Amino acid sequence: MGRRVKLKLGSRIAYVDLVHEVAEDLARDAHFSKSESLNIGLAVREAVINAIKHGNAMDETKSVEVEFEENEGSFRVRVRDEGPGFDWEQTADPRTERNIFRSSGRGIFFMKHFVDRVAFLRRRGRGTEVILEKRLQPAGRAGRGGATKRRKG
Amino acid sequence: MKANARHHGKVTVVDLSGKITIGEGDIKLRDAVNALLDEGRKNIILNLSGVSYMDSAGIGELVACYKRAAEKGATLKLLNPSGKVQDLLILTRLQEIFDIFRDEREALASF
Repeated sequence: MGRRVKLKLGSRIAYVDLVHEVAEDLARDAHFSKSESLNIGLAVREAVINAIKHGNAMDETKSVEVEFEENEGSFRVRVRDEGPGFDWEQTADPRTERNIFRSSGRGIFFMKHFVDRVAFLRRRGRGTEVILEKRLQPAGRAGRGGATKRRKG
Repeated sequence: MKANARHHGKVTVVDLSGKITIGEGDIKLRDAVNALLDEGRKNIILNLSGVSYMDSAGIGELVACYKRAAEKGATLKLLNPSGKVQDLLILTRLQEIFDIFRDEREALASF
């Protein structure tokens, strides 16, 4: 069982940078490359933005929970909101001729691109949970528990 | 995110640096481009070499700026997107929409 970090935040866009930074730091600690860690940070950022904007409808009294878990073979992030839910199945491909000039609608597309698995769970009366999962890289697994290389700073 | 405009005759180059993300960078980008369009500037180059990354809101604002420029009869082109920004432009297929240059002189001469 790896380490688990949990954040609980109000629904404020100002907190998005903080969560992104934590996500990127934890990904680096899990031995993802700098580029992969940024991708994980970007995926988490988009999930949190969705939770604040579409899940909690910008209601600052509603919380967003973000739980990071490094487990056997994977780095998993759960983002939960308290809203009535949003229809993630209706998200269109932003690259089509019809959608490419839209100024929104790329968040879920980014999430799906930046991690290996994205799942949406509707929690009855308790909002939506988005699960983002990225498989740990072999070098990371080999380094765990021993003389692991830590990131500077 | 910082935005500094330089004028080269009829062309304006906006040097952007930092990250273009929701809540701050996207708004600064919008304000910078809107100010130039309000001044009647028709030829705008966004220099992205100093931009480390963008999120969906930043990419969305870039598209919105492109559309607003076109509505006002202006043209918006991109210069030197960095690695991650370039990746995002390719991923979203926006590199097929924008004129993107690696060399500032070429970008200036393209208008």
